[in-house]
Amino acid sequence: MMSKIVRTITNILYSSILIFGFYIIMHGHLTPGGGFQGGAVVASGIALVLIAYGYDTAKDWIKKSNLSILESIGGLAFIGVAFLGIGTTFFYNFLANSGTLFGNPTVIGINPGDLNTAGVLPLMSWAVGLKVLAGLGSIILLMAYGIKKGDEK
Amino acid sequence: MKKYVALAALLVVSGFFLLSAIEMHSFGSPAEEDMDRYFIENAQEETSTNNVVTSIVFDYRGFDTLGEATVLFTAVVGVSLLFRRLRK
Amino acid sequence: MIEEIIQIVVLLIIIVTAIMAVSFKDLLAAVISLAATSLLLSLEFYILQAPDVAIAEAGIGAALTTAIFILAIKGTVREEEI
Repeated sequence: MMSKIVRTITNILYSSILIFGFYIIMHGHLTPGGGFQGGAVVASGIALVLIAYGYDTAKDWIKKSNLSILESIGGLAFIGVAFLGIGTTFFYNFLANSGTLFGNPTVIGINPGDLNTAGVLPLMSWAVGLKVLAGLGSIILLMAYGIKKGDEK
Repeated sequence: MKKYVALAALLVVSGFFLLSAIEMHSFGSPAEEDMDRYFIENAQEETSTNNVVTSIVFDYRGFDTLGEATVLFTAVVGVSLLFRRLRK
Repeated sequence: MIEEIIQIVVLLIIIVTAIMAVSFKDLLAAVISLAATSLLLSLEFYILQAPDVAIAEAGIGAALTTAIFILAIKGTVREEEI
């Protein structure tokens, strides 16, 4: 548990950091960033809450079991999307330019871009993003738990 | 004696770094550029993505990202083995 | 020209903060100067037109590593206080 100044700033900044991280994951195929970078930003928001409030208060906000479920979902979705294109090759982009989900044809050249393009890349970006945010968040949470356990002895 | 060995090691290592820094290609002109040309010209059409870096990370080099995810999973498993809840 | 001057200044401040991180006696101050090194390194990546690497460096190098170090410092005691 840190001082009141740190806790007030955390209350203001926490939601903004989470929204920025999910924005980076969502727009990975249009702007710089992607799954790994966005997941790291979201995990840094989790670390901010954990540092500012201490393990005992923050563990109710961040459930460890939810994080492990998220990590499993991310890994399975990544492999599953990769296997769905096995008709041609592993990691084949079967949704691009198909007209269905994320399948709009893109404009060639320099343009601001359309969110509904790029085929399987946004799906993979979300899968990797969930995996990275759950993995790094659970690393920080486990370290805080281990240090608290060492204090009690 | 120990001081001279440390000085010699410092000189050798900094010499290697300076040599590689002098021999470096100038910024924006790599040695082999056929693959870069292919990605820059064809990536937007083939994967319908505006961000070529993401199309390389998740499409052309998907196996690399799979290995990266495996490395992260191994790191999480290692940390949770270190800080696990011990049953009494 | 102005870009090269910015790069030289940023690289010099990176070296200064790295030396500060090694030489500080107080561990918390050393960790903060290491975070400053990472943040300036991500600025340097951004100047070199690699924004992906810059976001990853700012998220992991500057935020998560600092958080882990601060947790570790909170979990230990200073040698003089034993």
